[in-house]
Amino acid sequence: MTLLSIRNLHASIGDKEILKGVNLEIGRGEVHSIMGPNGNGKSTLAGVIAGNNKYTVTQGEVIYKSKNILEMPVDVRAAEGIFLGFQYPVEIPGVSITNFMRTAVNEQRKYRGLDPLSAPQFMRLMEEKKKVVEMTASLANRSVNEGFSGGEKKKNEIFQMAMLDPELAILDETDSGLDIDALRIVATGVNKLRRPDNATVVITHYQRLLDYIVPDFVHVLYDGRIVKTGPKELALELETKGYDWIREELALGRAH
Amino acid sequence: MNPIVQQFKDIQPRLHKDEVWKNVDYTDTLGEDLALPGTADACAEVSPHCCNIPGFEADRMVIENGCCRSPRRTDSQGVLTLGLREALRDFPQLVLPRFGTAARADNPYLQFNNSHYTDGLFIHVPDGVEVAKPLQLQSVVHAGRGLFLQIHNIVVVGKGSRVTLIHCDDTYDNAPSFSNNVTEIHAAEGAAVEYYKLQNLHNAAGLLNHTYAAIDEGASFRSVAVTLNGGHIRNHTEVALRGPRCDVQAHGLYLIDQDQQADNYIFVDHASPGCRSRELFKGILDDSARGTFNGHVLVREGAVKTEAYQSNKNILLTDKAHVETKPFLEIYNDDVKCSHGSTIGQLDEQALFYIRSRGISERTAKTLLLYAFCDEVLHEIALDPLRERLSDLVKKRLHGEQTLCAECALRCSTPCNGPEAAFYIDPAKL
Repeated sequence: MTLLSIRNLHASIGDKEILKGVNLEIGRGEVHSIMGPNGNGKSTLAGVIAGNNKYTVTQGEVIYKSKNILEMPVDVRAAEGIFLGFQYPVEIPGVSITNFMRTAVNEQRKYRGLDPLSAPQFMRLMEEKKKVVEMTASLANRSVNEGFSGGEKKKNEIFQMAMLDPELAILDETDSGLDIDALRIVATGVNKLRRPDNATVVITHYQRLLDYIVPDFVHVLYDGRIVKTGPKELALELETKGYDWIREELALGRAH
Repeated sequence: MNPIVQQFKDIQPRLHKDEVWKNVDYTDTLGEDLALPGTADACAEVSPHCCNIPGFEADRMVIENGCCRSPRRTDSQGVLTLGLREALRDFPQLVLPRFGTAARADNPYLQFNNSHYTDGLFIHVPDGVEVAKPLQLQSVVHAGRGLFLQIHNIVVVGKGSRVTLIHCDDTYDNAPSFSNNVTEIHAAEGAAVEYYKLQNLHNAAGLLNHTYAAIDEGASFRSVAVTLNGGHIRNHTEVALRGPRCDVQAHGLYLIDQDQQADNYIFVDHASPGCRSRELFKGILDDSARGTFNGHVLVREGAVKTEAYQSNKNILLTDKAHVETKPFLEIYNDDVKCSHGSTIGQLDEQALFYIRSRGISERTAKTLLLYAFCDEVLHEIALDPLRERLSDLVKKRLHGEQTLCAECALRCSTPCNGPEAAFYIDPAKL
């Protein structure tokens, strides 16, 4: 069943067009990987789906759960079940992760017409979800991302994903800056959260992450378009051959 | 108008071109109804207020309507605390060599205070004493009539001694008042002084608050001033580094709204080599509030290997709020590391996006970011219970028109009622 459907999406920053007609279908229970060279629009696509107003959508639509979400505010999209794992998570000094997540969980529950979780209910939920990413107690008491190492920040992103239990999770370069142990913890966390009714989009440069999170589909985003889609083996092919052959294929295609 | 008040009011026009004093216009707060305090202004009781810090023990001294109400005390460590008038009478050898000497001599408001002060506190910490409990100076105005006050405090900290001072300025009633208060801090070689100020005054109160610290070789001075409310408050701080290897940190946070005004002036005089100073002043201004920051770091010719950093950051919530900022370094040798800067701005868009992407509403996201903005200054308070208390007061100040604690993201440790939550800065306006 289709969860997200992107049709002919064009988006720009200022005068610069970044996305030049993206088409993408994502179904429930699926894991998609979006790969491609730097600066070709991967993070822009993630930002546009989550609602970052840094980007202007000039054409096309993003249909999520049968609703066009482009006019929806960021926090409403989140409450509707969209989660973005950030490449560069922001530090919020003086606001503990516990308080931050309690606010987020309860604001989302309010949107869905549910009562807020009581303090003990919330603490139970938090203890349970901390295990997903092997998070230590001390981390949870610290201010959001303040003074965290690269690995701690990414673990914290997956912890937040576990707490918020999204239907569509987009992980933007979650593997960047991770050593092999942190990568394993983060990837294992993502796999634990996988269910038949949710979907995950993994944006990455490297095939390495896909050894742990096995995608159903691999897409290549190049020059603002998805130019190739294949099974998980496509990632291995990209790893060995690089992106030049795709450029050549595209050049040939245009020549014909 | 009372002739003494008039005499004070006449100082300002003479100084309007002086960079140091040009913003000191107290015309609005120096009204006809101000009078000098008399003996009849003693109050029956000093009720607990914002200065109370749960779970925190301090030796408390009270200055009420300009008079010292606390009895003379010498504790087991030899720390002497008493009223300044009494100290001048009984310990002139301790007081006179220091009186008025921590500041530059050409200071007209200090001169005025020197000749008109009613009382104040004198604290003497002998050499080599680590004062166990923090000392809390509580300055309260509640006479039920308009008062014009001049308080002069002197703190002498002996060689190698350590002391923590908490200084609260509070008003209990809504009568107008004006205070021109001086606190001198003399820190001898190797002494360490922490000085925290909390200001929570009502809108008819004016306060010109002078802090003069003179510190000797290897001594450290750390101050954090938090201004939560007040009609017109000026924190005028001067720190003289009189020996090598001193360490100075002077920070401030001001959260003001309505027609309030908060000015911060700081002068750091690097007269000796190998010293370090750091200043961080941050403010949030709502409604028609006005603020100024005037920071001056002077690095003299002989003060080589100086490190000096100065920063002022402001957030304006409305178009009518107004801030002027002037960070200034004056350096006379080339073996220094110095920086200064100021910003007047809005909240970071990408940080807002991050918070909202978790399903948190725009308004709550702004509240969280405003608190995070303040936290950088609160973080400098080394005393845990005091930091928590001030953090609570800042949270209450920031929660806007939101009245339900359960819906507030800031999670104070105590509910939002009582006098401290009478005014709100409203992030919804941003």
